[in-house]
Amino acid sequence: MFVPYPLHVLINQAGNTCHSKHIPIPTSKSEIQQISDSWLLHSVLFLVQSWMEPLLYLQTTLDRYDDAPNALLSKTKWVSDKLLSLEQGVVVLIRKMLDEGIMASSTIFDHTQSPYDGQFPEVLESVIRDYHLLTCFKKDTHKMETFLKLLKCRQSNKLSCLPQ
Amino acid sequence: MMRISAAVLILTLIADLISQAAGVSPPGKPRLTSCRSPEKETFTCWWEPGDDGGLPTTYALYYRLENTETVKECPDYKTAGENSCFFDKNATSLWVNYNITVVATNALGRNISEPVEVDVVYIVQPNTPENVKAVVIHEDRDPFVKVSWDKPRTADTRSGWITLHYQLRVKQEEDKEWVEYDAERQKNYNVFSLHSDREYMVQVRCKPDHGFWSEWTQTTYVKMPNYIPRERSLWIMITIFSVFIVFILTWMLKVKHNSVKLCLLPPVPGPKIKGFDKQLLKSGKSEEVFNSLVIPGFPPTTDYDDLLVEYLEVYDNEEQELVLDGKDLSEDSMKSKSPSDSDSGRGSCDSRTLLLDKCMEGSGNDQHNYSQHGETSWASSSECSESQGSPGSPESTDGRMKTWPVVFSSPQPHHHYQVGATKPAYHSVPEILKHSPSHAIPSNYHQLYLQDIPPQEGRFTKPPCRHSQSYNQFNMDNVDISEAGVPPSRSLEYVEVQRVNPENILLLRPLSDPNREPEGSDRIDEDYSKVKEVTSNNTLLLQRETSHQVVNDYSQDFESYADQCTAQQTPHPCKPVMTQLHSQDMRVMGNGYVDTTVLMPLYKQF
Repeated sequence: MFVPYPLHVLINQAGNTCHSKHIPIPTSKSEIQQISDSWLLHSVLFLVQSWMEPLLYLQTTLDRYDDAPNALLSKTKWVSDKLLSLEQGVVVLIRKMLDEGIMASSTIFDHTQSPYDGQFPEVLESVIRDYHLLTCFKKDTHKMETFLKLLKCRQSNKLSCLPQ
Repeated sequence: MMRISAAVLILTLIADLISQAAGVSPPGKPRLTSCRSPEKETFTCWWEPGDDGGLPTTYALYYRLENTETVKECPDYKTAGENSCFFDKNATSLWVNYNITVVATNALGRNISEPVEVDVVYIVQPNTPENVKAVVIHEDRDPFVKVSWDKPRTADTRSGWITLHYQLRVKQEEDKEWVEYDAERQKNYNVFSLHSDREYMVQVRCKPDHGFWSEWTQTTYVKMPNYIPRERSLWIMITIFSVFIVFILTWMLKVKHNSVKLCLLPPVPGPKIKGFDKQLLKSGKSEEVFNSLVIPGFPPTTDYDDLLVEYLEVYDNEEQELVLDGKDLSEDSMKSKSPSDSDSGRGSCDSRTLLLDKCMEGSGNDQHNYSQHGETSWASSSECSESQGSPGSPESTDGRMKTWPVVFSSPQPHHHYQVGATKPAYHSVPEILKHSPSHAIPSNYHQLYLQDIPPQEGRFTKPPCRHSQSYNQFNMDNVDISEAGVPPSRSLEYVEVQRVNPENILLLRPLSDPNREPEGSDRIDEDYSKVKEVTSNNTLLLQRETSHQVVNDYSQDFESYADQCTAQQTPHPCKPVMTQLHSQDMRVMGNGYVDTTVLMPLYKQF
């Protein structure tokens, strides 16, 4: 699934944005460090839940490719499973740290947000779309990681985690 | 129109040529080389200017955030140095793609670089670790180097914003390759196995979770001291291994104690003598020891008397004959006898000196028919006998009978056996034969046939002394003497040798035979010497016969002896036996019976 470099322009120009743009997530460290724990946790949960269906879709599309490497397929599946576990963990954290009860389900996010409704575009377009999807996923997981690390630091040592 | 366009074209070309001749041109295309964020809070981009075209060229960096249309210019061109753009915290957005371009502008034109998409979180490259220290630690064991450092000042690892992994590398000045060690998230590391008395170079770098490795720090030098490496672990292993081996060997030795002992110290066979008791020897009583060595029955000293065959006893019965057959009897008796053990005297029938009792028992004779045979000790010269082999050592072969003068009696009648080649030379078995009266011998007589024993099969070196054989074969011809009044039961009877006929045949006659020849009348008389007279000195004068056919040498000895006897005053009998010998001696022609017991003392001397 190598996307030739000129196509990157295509990807950017197509305006394909990650669907998570809809969530107002601060993008600087200072902002993020001022965010409350509650907000951090909810953000993580939202992110996790928003990526469950796209990963499923990704698995199906990757299967359709003839020359997709097996490692890619297996990894996608593995990530999908891990995501479920992550959601469960966040739910537990929310319950413990925020004393809130939240149902762990993927029905929260809106189906309208996902543009993947049984359409099977041609291969190149599909490849580009999948590539973009993976890129967004990488970013969002990095966001989750950062938030969770901040939370972890805050739990261990509140003073040191304050912004400098 | 054509001329205007042509003119413009020409002017352009000329302008280019002029500008080229002047060395000015629009700037070349700049190129963004890299953008880096040291702490994921700010970042800097650097570009490479192209050809400036000979004119002062300005560069401007423009960026556009993802999904926005606003193009912004670099806020800071100074901080990061020449041809760089520094984005501070406010201008930095994470997880957002930056579309960055650089525009070079000079008097003649401008040039735009290729755009670069940058996401800050992916271009993090921290600063180098700081304050690297390498210290040699001397403890109980070999010295080692402890390297410690600090995190780069800008990296915010405390809040967990960045997680750094550290790495260090060590080498000697002269080495080509570095040896790298991973320190994970620690800020110190112990380096072992460094050579003594060497100087080492140490460098450290770090890396975030997602990002690039930092640059190596400045080299820190550390000198190892001059020490003697104590390779303790190796010696410990060697010691344990050897102890283990020793244990195994000891256990094996203990298990196989006996077999090892047998192998190393084979038992020395001690001397063994049957019947020899060492304990007795220790006790010091030699008598008992030697007594135990004495095997009863060997040598058959007690039966010695039996060896002295005084006479041949022949038992007569009417129908019975005494057949003495050495060959047969020997076999029979031997068969009936149990084999004797190897190291004891053969005794009995095997022995040279025949034990009459044992022979008689072993032979299983009938009651009536047996005769006693003794080895005839008639040897005129003992040298012959002795030269014929050691009589004391019976052969232990099948022919054990062969080497011994075994005389057996058997009830088999009418057997005339001559000593064949298989028989020992000196074993003579008198054989009593039923002799026909054609021999003109009185029926009561038993004829002893003196036969020369033919030489044996080379068992002896010398041919037997024919003329003076120790053992003569006797063929006793059992003449029918049943009517001689001999009691039918087993009874001993003495026979007397009547005479020796010219054929070397002993003619025997029983003593109780009333048909004695009148020659025996004076036998008794001649058993003893006649007293001639008694002198006044109470000396017995014995009558001496002068007409003897005895061997002269013999007679002379006895004559002297007899003289001495006669000269004695004491009236004790002066060994009349000797005198008797003198008178009788070898003359066996019916003057009396031959008393071989008399002869024995003489032969003892030989």
